[in-house]
Amino acid sequence: MPMYGDLGNKLVQHAKRTQNLTHLPPYQAELVRAVAREVRDLDKDVASLLDPFQGSFDPSTDQATACTLLVNHLSMRRNKRCLLAYHRTRTDKLEELVWNGYDVLDLSAQKTRGANSMTAGADGGTSSLSPQEEDYVRQYGDLLAAYKGQWTDIDLTGSLEPPRDLFIDVRVLKDAGEIQTEYGAINLTKNSQFYVRQGDVERLIAQGYLQKLG
Amino acid sequence: MDIDDILREVDPTFHSVPQETRDLQDLTRAWVAERSAPELLHWPAGGLFERINDNIKRQIEKVEEMTGDMDPKTNFALIVIQTELERFKYLVRSYLRARIAKIDRHTLHYLSTDELRSRLSEMELAYATRHQALLHNHYLSSFLSSFPPVLQNLNDTAGNISMIDAPDLESAVFIRLLKDTLVESRGVDNDGEMDGRESDIVILRWSDAKRLVETGCAELI
Repeated sequence: MPMYGDLGNKLVQHAKRTQNLTHLPPYQAELVRAVAREVRDLDKDVASLLDPFQGSFDPSTDQATACTLLVNHLSMRRNKRCLLAYHRTRTDKLEELVWNGYDVLDLSAQKTRGANSMTAGADGGTSSLSPQEEDYVRQYGDLLAAYKGQWTDIDLTGSLEPPRDLFIDVRVLKDAGEIQTEYGAINLTKNSQFYVRQGDVERLIAQGYLQKLG
Repeated sequence: MDIDDILREVDPTFHSVPQETRDLQDLTRAWVAERSAPELLHWPAGGLFERINDNIKRQIEKVEEMTGDMDPKTNFALIVIQTELERFKYLVRSYLRARIAKIDRHTLHYLSTDELRSRLSEMELAYATRHQALLHNHYLSSFLSSFPPVLQNLNDTAGNISMIDAPDLESAVFIRLLKDTLVESRGVDNDGEMDGRESDIVILRWSDAKRLVETGCAELI
């Protein structure tokens, strides 16, 4: 027989695991719903326990009921904490992806398509984000873009490594097409090597098209 | 003209160090301090960032101008200016990111009182407010709206436990003393005291170091 808080605990374990992963595991919609349901049931229990007392409940005369109330009260709050922790861990992860310049929605959509083609669409929506999270990512992306827009010359999402050299050697890992620099256009074809200005290619390094050498 | 202007004119250091150099020093100081302090520090007053932004803009224009003429003589100067520009931009970026990271971590805390709100720049305040609203909305639509109304708050303080997480002001920082001063610190068993000399380096709790840093007796390193 599952105890109060068992489900919440599972959520926290999921959250803990998420912290150490590079990708975002699927949203535990079922578990979230179950924990929220537990909270509502507990709240109903509290209401029905208190109902006969008509607002004149005295804990010292009925200690058994008082104890039940306290346990219910704490379990509800604990569940809430678990839910908050779970969601916050995931949004933190999503924000990190947004900061790193990934198109999170595109990424999860690709994954969905990839998974579907393999399992022949046996499992409909396998996106690892909940619909609410997709909304959140979209809105956070807008927010970040707005904040970044106020610092146009800085490029806030740029590298946080202190710049040592103006020019660096890079190797092209994936075809990235042609980029424009102030010294002319460079055609980035796979396996070629270039000596370029760091500021021009930072984005491409972050996205994994180029690898910095040396 | 007020008293500050007069005082500045008689200050011997005022004319010897150009504004740009002092701005860079201020920025570097703010950057080092922000990265070591466990809590968010005040946004620098006096238009420091407006000046820095203008400087960066000016340098970018200059670089563009110099790239125009392909004279090899200017090429070396161009590389020097570009390198300097990249470093300048890095300082600003790293500084802003350090602040955003702190704000994101304890958003509700920094929005909770006027004193704390005043530490944020206008843009940061707008960002933090919006970010918190987004998060709250996300919680609401994900699960919170199905909760009983009394449990829907994010800032409960019932049972003497506040839901609002705050930065740990007791964590340790390194400071360098800028003048001779008495350093007091609270310990677990008993409090400590020492006569600090200029340029001494001390490690102590941020809550104890804060006063020294704010009065200009010490700087974070």
